Amino acid sequence: MSKGITDSGIIPGGEAPLIEKNPTFGSITEEISRITERKTPGVWYLALGAAVSLMFVLFGSIGYLVFEGVGIWGLNNPVGWGWAIINFVWWVGIGHAGTLISAILFLLRQRWRTSINRFAEAMTLFAVSCALIFPAIHVGRIWVVYWMFPVPNQMSMWPNFRSPLLWDVFAVSTYFTASLLFWYTGLIPDLATFRDRAKTKIRKIVFGFLSLGWRGGNRQWKHYELAYLILAGISTPLVLSVHSVVSTDFAISILPGWHTTIFPPYFVAGAIFSGFAMVVTLTIIARKLFHLEHIITVSHLEKMNKIMLLTGMMVGYAYSMEFFIAWYSGNIYEQFVFINRAFGQYAWAYWIMISCNVLIPQMFWFKKLRRSIPVMFIASILINVGMWFERFVIVVTSLAQDFLPSSWDYYSPTIWDISTFVGSFGLFFTLFLLFIRFLPMISMSEVKGVLPQADPHHAGGDRHE
Amino acid sequence: MSEMVKQNKIEGILAEFPDPAALISAAEKMRDAGYKKFDCHSPFPIHGMDKAMGLKRSPLGWIVGSAALFGTSAALGLQWWTSTVDYRLVISGKPFFSFQAYVPVTFALGVLLSAFAALIAMLVLNGLPRLHHPIFYSDRFAKSSDDGFFISIEGDDPKFDIEKTKAFLESIGGTNSEILKET
Amino acid sequence: MEKKDKKYWLSLDHLHDTKGYRRNLRDRYHEENGETGGDFTRRSFLGIMGASLALAGLAGCRRPVEKIVPYVIMPEEVIPGVPQYYATTMSLGTSAYGIIVESHEGRPTKIEGNPKHPSTLGSANIFLEAAILGLYDPDRSKKVKHNGAESAYNDFISFWREQELKFAANKGEGLAVISESFSSPTLMRLRNDFLKKYSNASWVCYEPISDENNHKAVGQLTGRPLQPVYHYDKADVVLSLDADFLLTENENIRAARGFAEKRKPDDNKTDMNRLYTAESAFSVTGSMADHRLRISSADIGRLAFAIADAVRKRGLNIPGVFETDISDFNKEWIEALADDLNGAKGRSLIIAGSRQPIRVHQIAMILNEVLGNIGQTVTYHNANDAIAPDMEALKSTIAKMKSGAISTLIILGGNPVYNAPADLDFASALSKCENSVHYSDYLDETSKLTGWHIPRAHFLESWSDARALDGTLSVIQPMIEPLYGSPSDTELYALLASGRNQRGYDIVRETWQNVLKGGEFEKKWRKVLHDGLLADSALPNEIIKLNVAAIESPKSEKELSNDNLELNFYSSKLYDGRFANNGWLQELPDPINKLTWGNAALLSPKTATELAVANGEIVNIEAGSAKLEIPVWISPGQADYTVAVALGYGRGGIGAVADGVGANAYLLSNSNNPSFYRGVRLTKTGAVMNMAGTQDHGSMHGRPIVREATLNEYRSNPEFAEEMVEHPPLKSIYPEHDYSQGYQWGMVIDLNACIGCGACTIACQSENNIPIVGKLQVSKGREMHWIRNDRYYVGDENDPKIVHMPVACQQCENAPCESVCPVAATVHDKEGLNNMTYTRCIGTRYCSNNCPYKVRRFNFFNYTGKYAETIRMAQNPDVTVRSRGVMEKCTFCTQRLNRAKIKARQEGRTVRDGEIQTACEQACPTRAIRFGNINDPDSIVTAMKKIDRNYALLGEFNVRPRNSYLAKIRNPNPKLGKTEDKETG
Repeated sequence: MSKGITDSGIIPGGEAPLIEKNPTFGSITEEISRITERKTPGVWYLALGAAVSLMFVLFGSIGYLVFEGVGIWGLNNPVGWGWAIINFVWWVGIGHAGTLISAILFLLRQRWRTSINRFAEAMTLFAVSCALIFPAIHVGRIWVVYWMFPVPNQMSMWPNFRSPLLWDVFAVSTYFTASLLFWYTGLIPDLATFRDRAKTKIRKIVFGFLSLGWRGGNRQWKHYELAYLILAGISTPLVLSVHSVVSTDFAISILPGWHTTIFPPYFVAGAIFSGFAMVVTLTIIARKLFHLEHIITVSHLEKMNKIMLLTGMMVGYAYSMEFFIAWYSGNIYEQFVFINRAFGQYAWAYWIMISCNVLIPQMFWFKKLRRSIPVMFIASILINVGMWFERFVIVVTSLAQDFLPSSWDYYSPTIWDISTFVGSFGLFFTLFLLFIRFLPMISMSEVKGVLPQADPHHAGGDRHE
Repeated sequence: MSEMVKQNKIEGILAEFPDPAALISAAEKMRDAGYKKFDCHSPFPIHGMDKAMGLKRSPLGWIVGSAALFGTSAALGLQWWTSTVDYRLVISGKPFFSFQAYVPVTFALGVLLSAFAALIAMLVLNGLPRLHHPIFYSDRFAKSSDDGFFISIEGDDPKFDIEKTKAFLESIGGTNSEILKET
Repeated sequence: MEKKDKKYWLSLDHLHDTKGYRRNLRDRYHEENGETGGDFTRRSFLGIMGASLALAGLAGCRRPVEKIVPYVIMPEEVIPGVPQYYATTMSLGTSAYGIIVESHEGRPTKIEGNPKHPSTLGSANIFLEAAILGLYDPDRSKKVKHNGAESAYNDFISFWREQELKFAANKGEGLAVISESFSSPTLMRLRNDFLKKYSNASWVCYEPISDENNHKAVGQLTGRPLQPVYHYDKADVVLSLDADFLLTENENIRAARGFAEKRKPDDNKTDMNRLYTAESAFSVTGSMADHRLRISSADIGRLAFAIADAVRKRGLNIPGVFETDISDFNKEWIEALADDLNGAKGRSLIIAGSRQPIRVHQIAMILNEVLGNIGQTVTYHNANDAIAPDMEALKSTIAKMKSGAISTLIILGGNPVYNAPADLDFASALSKCENSVHYSDYLDETSKLTGWHIPRAHFLESWSDARALDGTLSVIQPMIEPLYGSPSDTELYALLASGRNQRGYDIVRETWQNVLKGGEFEKKWRKVLHDGLLADSALPNEIIKLNVAAIESPKSEKELSNDNLELNFYSSKLYDGRFANNGWLQELPDPINKLTWGNAALLSPKTATELAVANGEIVNIEAGSAKLEIPVWISPGQADYTVAVALGYGRGGIGAVADGVGANAYLLSNSNNPSFYRGVRLTKTGAVMNMAGTQDHGSMHGRPIVREATLNEYRSNPEFAEEMVEHPPLKSIYPEHDYSQGYQWGMVIDLNACIGCGACTIACQSENNIPIVGKLQVSKGREMHWIRNDRYYVGDENDPKIVHMPVACQQCENAPCESVCPVAATVHDKEGLNNMTYTRCIGTRYCSNNCPYKVRRFNFFNYTGKYAETIRMAQNPDVTVRSRGVMEKCTFCTQRLNRAKIKARQEGRTVRDGEIQTACEQACPTRAIRFGNINDPDSIVTAMKKIDRNYALLGEFNVRPRNSYLAKIRNPNPKLGKTEDKETG
């Protein structure tokens, strides 16, 4: 709408503009749709090739695993869980940002979310897909892993609903499904836009079907908005519950260093922490590649850095509180585990964790660093390294040296542990590249909704009053 | 509506408006003029439009709520039945029905069912999926998912009359209005 | 049984024995055998296990054709699925161990002690338990070999007939026999016949691990060939001079039992015994000692004299010269000991280890004499029918061989090329003999150099007889027809003696015609076979008179230092190497250093630091010209500047299990002092070896795991064990499950009795079909033992004490493993057992993670899939063989529980206390493990749980384990108290 262009773009309330360069509704549509409509850039093919070959590393490793047995991993008697579970928790953690942004920030009326939520949600789905692989393949008899689901059978063998692993199965798969539905709901109006812009027959058909015949009439918007609100409402406790449940895998056990009540909030904070870090990493690349700097502005990134600073400190608080409780409880096993984490055979892992998760984020106290793209890019990557090591420290140190020194041992991964983990990135990026190529990576209808001229009482639009 | 398509029947009228504000005020005037079967199309939901069009609140909440209730009770029921009736197992010396441990699964299933309910109910209430609709006869209408704002009124609205309605739409600021019929 | 041709067949082809079937088997055999040698991995191990399919399959499970008598059930009443129990005997050197063999449809599967036999008393040791695997070892020699080519036993017979003609003329001039030592009426009869026939022939006996010095000492002091028998159950004060009587000396089962009997601290009336040991390398006996003196083996001679001197100063008449310099000894220790010995006349016992020279044995004997112990704690019996090893005779024979004076050498058992002292160079001497014969279990180092190799029948395939050290007679009856049709000892001896190829059955009965005199032979014979021994055949004590000539004390040798180390050889879990191809024994952790699959040069921490070597570093042991590359292992408690190396390792080409494991210490052995000598140096090679130890951490980190106190502390504070945990037991948020009805199984392990020998582990492995996984997997921490033996060091790093703790599944009532299993694969039954449902397990390993005792074992690979046919025959049909990807653990031998419950139900009664013994309980030589119904107020286990020392390991977490432990009590001499009373740390 031409009037909009002349406007300052200042929203009532006088904040800095959410979207820069005063775009029109049309320009938003144009810029975001063009990415998927124009000819596929060669670099995309290169990237996809790399990602797919990594993905085959994953499938290869899984194939050998199924053939030989989990013995190909570095696991041993005290340490029954290794990289597989670490990777699972790590990926699930990363998968927390998306739904958090789209659900919680939505309920909190954080309008800035609109530029990044689609992107973040997609990232969530792909991260959770990677996560779901690991619990499935880490079992000894992969071919009967479906016994974890309550499948009726003539022997009345039902799963044990007291087991945190079973809670995981339900919580994580529910999380994945709900996020998928939420994501698709958000996509419908944009898919309609693609449908209406479609030039080729295939696009006409595909997006025609995917958009389900959306007409953007207010009678539809009415139900749509409420559905979206409800999905946001139920996703919010879900996000918080998922990593709480994952944390019970450890908290429910009796192992020193695992058996801790602060795990649920501590894990959720950590998940948001790593999730946002991953979103920042990816957005920085995407906005540069597709010239979306004015839609995903530095202040968007800055806001996310602030959240990282907050959650990073929550995680740091948890680390110190664990030590305090271990000392305060007077439990010799607890005390040993924590001293051992910091100074024992895995101290190196512990200090990587501390420096990446607690020290690095402190940079974000300074506005300059908080708004510096290179700084936050490196920081976000280091934070995810740190979060991986946090899970390593939790899983391995407690198992390797628990109650009876006689059974203590040292755990180190094999080539197959590593290839499986590295391979999972292949899957992640493959899915991601397909997403940015074929779907609107920014929610057009929502961005339009936060443009100043979208407000009916906006200066430009009240000529009929 | 669609069953009358074959006789090239007039399906309704479509008129375009410049911006959200215009659309809202037009909607109010339509409402006051007593039109029922009209709708306002926009690329994004517009604040206050429900009031302007005089629409009732969506019943979606009730549907999802009952779905959630069903999900949770089904989950709890399953866990109770399997562990106390169908196959009793002594596990860690805990009671057969140790409900404390059944909370996470119960919650998860509740959420799962409500999520499905929310999306499906929304589509059903919107009469979707419906890939074909008279309004798509208009080529201009494609703008409605980009930057266009439209009002459409259906042929079987009691007050519908091609000439009068068309004139009325233009009088309230509607531009390049067109008649929707199969071409 | 009656049907002579009774055979079990595997398939129709097998039944009709078609060509195709045989070829198929032979091909399998050869291709599999191609895959020997190379570095030992799980894969190659399992691969080669496939080898034996060959004849084993054909042999199937065959009952012996003669009439053997089952222990419990008459053969007419064989019920398929219900095992039978037969009594027989396993002889090892001059000892004879009465055993009961469990047999399924004619297939022996498990060896247990014979309660009636004085040498086993119903218990067992690792060698007895593991012998069953030896029977089914696919690498056993199967064919007679002549000059390397396959031959037949008949060819050998005709060969021997020619020899007979030759030697009949010259009365066996140039004919020599080297045999193992034995104690058997039949073998002795045949040997005597042989020597009568060939009076010029020589028959020498050689054993690398022998009691020779003990026998010589007795002979010199008494002038008679007597066998000492020690009665630890009568001894209040025991002094062991380098004698590991609880594990490696003769009669160790009986010794351990007697020792434990005397070590009960709970009854305030009787006193608990006190054990002093002096030794260089930490032994199981040393680990049980109240006072252990860390001293080099060579100095023990001087120590013995110092002690004798101290005793003499207390007014006891000991002849002989005593100018011993004992300035370097712990005077306090010796004085306190002397007082103790003096205070326990007739109730003390001094034993010298078989490693020690004659002189030390004599001192021990003299001390026993003057302290009035002879006839009380040590008795002497005629050593009828026993032939003891003789190093001097061996030397002279080898000399004759070298001079070419021996034209025909017959080696009956043993493996001299491998284990004769290196300086004698047996191999080259052997090459000088025109004809040589070796009769052995494996195609081993010796067999490869002799003209003839005769495969030996396993004792479970043989008819023979044996005499225990105290003289008790028993018959060895076969459990199964020889799998490979090999001749038995008796059959071969008979052939040599008489030239006739008789059946072992007839030979043995011939001997026993003179034993079971006075008619009713058949009746008595049946009884002997049934009981496994001839009742009251023990020989009476001989009243002996010592004629002590002056024995002068040894001079102190050159002081030890970094470049003058003392090298010690000790017998390992492979004995002298004859069990090297036994996977169970190879994978059994050494009781002290916890190493599996190999030996090491054991050094004290101090010595290791001074030589700057670490665990696993490969060093060269240089003794004169001889060298041996071997990894170092630091063993706290080892005497400084001494190196200890286990014998029996470093085999080549005898079997998939033995080959390439460890280093061959015999290469350094020396005929003049076979057990230890000085003047050895260690040089680094720079290489490092991956050692497969099962316990990396030896300290308890101040945790109340093994709870220990001195006798006085215990008497003053009986509840000390419970009080060692501060925080009160946790409470469950749930009501506790009710286990007050019916059988409720529980176990108690008395840490005061446990010597850490490992018999329980092997017994469990045999009973429960537990796979071995090989060195690589063990080094990754994936061993599968259901009951492991934890060893903790307590106190000073260089001179610590050791405590042993067997840990199996504790069968917690509130089992942490159960609630975390997502598929309910491990759940409780109403008898309080924590059951593992293998078929339901999907292998998340969560249960193992959440087990505070880490007793669950996971099948990381398909360990059992490629078992050879023979190995399959060794499996217990009552126990599921687990596949890849499932968790497994101790079941309290649930198959035994069910068998007993079914029997009880049939007889309309409840299971009696003691009717069910778990495999570990049954094997335990000291009865440290007791199992039973804790709901039965009169059961032994209930009584034991009432003892004050009773405590639950990690019980403070409210897991309510059904296993509990009785705290360990030591009984230090109050006079030495101050220096040694260190509390469990």
